[in-house]
Amino acid sequence: MQQLTNEQLDNLARDLDAIRDEVMADVGERDARYIRRVIRTHRALEIGGRAMLPFGFLPPLFIAGTASLGIAKILENMEIGHNVMHGQYDWMNDPSLHSQTYEWDTVCTGDSWRYTHNYEHHTYTNVIGKDRDYGYAVLRLSDDVKWHPGHLLQFINFTLLSVFFQWGVGLHELETERMRRGEIKLSDKREVLRDLMRKGGRQAFKDYVFFPLLTFPVAPIVLAGNIGANLIRNLWASNVIFLGHFTEDAETFSEDMLEGESRGQWYLRQLTGSSNFTGNKWMHILSGHLSHQIEHHVFPDMPAHRYREIAPRVQKICEKYGLHYNSASFASQYKTVLRKVFHYSLPDRIRTRLQAA
Amino acid sequence: MLSVFENNSAMRWLGKQLFNREDPAAFFDPILSIINPMMVRGLTPARVEAITHAARDTKTFHLKPSPRWSGFRAGQHININVEIDGVRCHRTFSLSSAPAQWEQDGTITLTIKRLPGGKVTNWLHDRLETGTVVGISEAFGEFDIPNVEQPLLYLAGGSGVTPVLSHLVTLADQDYRAPVTVLYYVRTQADEIGAETLRALQARWPALTLVIHRTDEDGPSALMNEAHLEQVPGIKARHCFLCGPPGLMDLAQDLLGRFGIREEQISATFFTAPTPVEVSEPLGGEVRFAGSDVTVESEGDAPLLEIAEAAKLNPKHGCRMGICHQCSCRKTSGTVVNRLTGKASGPGEETIQLCISVPQGDVEVDV
Repeated sequence: MQQLTNEQLDNLARDLDAIRDEVMADVGERDARYIRRVIRTHRALEIGGRAMLPFGFLPPLFIAGTASLGIAKILENMEIGHNVMHGQYDWMNDPSLHSQTYEWDTVCTGDSWRYTHNYEHHTYTNVIGKDRDYGYAVLRLSDDVKWHPGHLLQFINFTLLSVFFQWGVGLHELETERMRRGEIKLSDKREVLRDLMRKGGRQAFKDYVFFPLLTFPVAPIVLAGNIGANLIRNLWASNVIFLGHFTEDAETFSEDMLEGESRGQWYLRQLTGSSNFTGNKWMHILSGHLSHQIEHHVFPDMPAHRYREIAPRVQKICEKYGLHYNSASFASQYKTVLRKVFHYSLPDRIRTRLQAA
Repeated sequence: MLSVFENNSAMRWLGKQLFNREDPAAFFDPILSIINPMMVRGLTPARVEAITHAARDTKTFHLKPSPRWSGFRAGQHININVEIDGVRCHRTFSLSSAPAQWEQDGTITLTIKRLPGGKVTNWLHDRLETGTVVGISEAFGEFDIPNVEQPLLYLAGGSGVTPVLSHLVTLADQDYRAPVTVLYYVRTQADEIGAETLRALQARWPALTLVIHRTDEDGPSALMNEAHLEQVPGIKARHCFLCGPPGLMDLAQDLLGRFGIREEQISATFFTAPTPVEVSEPLGGEVRFAGSDVTVESEGDAPLLEIAEAAKLNPKHGCRMGICHQCSCRKTSGTVVNRLTGKASGPGEETIQLCISVPQGDVEVDV
């Protein structure tokens, strides 16, 4: 990990706090208008998608309907749900946009997400053993986890996690890896399980039962469209999230670093544990601005569309302290993620030889 | 049509499954609000029909609520809900019109005075335009006309006259026979709210005695005193209504007590605008956790989360450093200082993070 003196860390915290204070003092009508516009777009896409799919026996309408519903789910999960639940819009005092009560269009319950993501992941970012989002307990992405032959097949896990991402995230708080190790029992997680069944049931009922049956004669077409829409969202969301922390240059940390961690050290961990990808305006919006994962991790409750505006200043601060600002195109970041998943599926001896080559 | 998601329990259940929200009908609001804002379900819309001058720094806002608004009794208040710079703000105001007017033409009025430095009242005066749609709450409050006809005395000060206007018009329409006396205290003639209505009532309704005291123009004898009350015939048998600024209310309570008027003969209503604390006010204060009915004293820069935990409460929380929002909850009154930014909050109702909010003076939160 990149080392800074205590004085540098204090200055780093002061520089970043200055950006935060400046932006937060300016937050207001523009941000409210922005998120309302995104929500309107989401409603239009969802209503449009669901209205088109019953006519999906015409191939163009099937494609348009599925895409429209898929993009609606992406917008709702990434730019609305994720960001609202971070408290980015709590200042608006609008009960439909309140971080602690928002419920989103995916299997994972809002409460479970607020705990595993907002608290665990954002507080203990990339701390192996504390941040369960690092590898989602199904991927080996660092040599802190001891290799065993099962890891050879982790590309299968990687693919399954992408395809069924909403269910993976939903199951996350169950901590099945700890159950396997016998540290906890299923009965310890009774409430989590109950909420998961309720929310998972609700999502499955809506997309796989209710809307297909509503349009009975064409039910299979609507069902296929809904499955397609969920798949589009799963693939996109999972990959955006993998790109945020699983890239090769994103650093990991050990638990002892948390002891007495200063604000400057916390900032440093967020800056060096996250990675950005570049793209056009729509790439940013559809990723919920997690394309600016670095900015998101230093300022998780700042309205996300502001990340694009402050990114050059955050990059300058990184340069000032000699920190690596990890940013590249989607494709090249994705390549490093795949390489990492592949490398760590191998025994350490072979991996180190490969990496050295 | 969307009301089926509110009134029919099966449809409400279905709506929750489909839209992932407790108020499923409001799912369509973002679209409806651009088609016709009077169609939204998340709050009760009311259109501003007209804005008229009422007195110095005082305007009357004529609103037409959506047909699903359930009406009010004379003397009640409503919350009005407007968006200022992206922030939804609520304030409570008394209805100054009579229920009969709403039954007749569907309109209600709020008569609102500018408060110096007041965010909402100044915005309403300067920015709210005819034709705009605002949100309103159902009516509430117990400032009711007595069921049995009896002599009445009103002591009103400044803009506190607004619920009294609603009462008086209603009583006059009922042809109320028992004597009704109104002592109205204002600074100057220009500050008289509803002067025309009051004079018109006086002309057509013999039971009414109206005395207006202009404290800045009529000299010291115009300030509320015993002599004013001595001139009210049969004051001991009257039911008294008080509405005005806190100083006037205290004085009135005191004077009425001296005339031997019992507590249960007095109805009082007032809400003062919460005032921001002075910057110099020390940190700490009395903290009330309303949800658990616990009140504790705090000193120094202890954040609310630690204060709650010291009081054996266990509010939901996470990072303890202001990033995860697990501990976000409603502050219902008081000022808190944000530890991260060093900034003081407003005095009213808003969402705060317990782990980084330090009370500055007395605070009440929903924990």
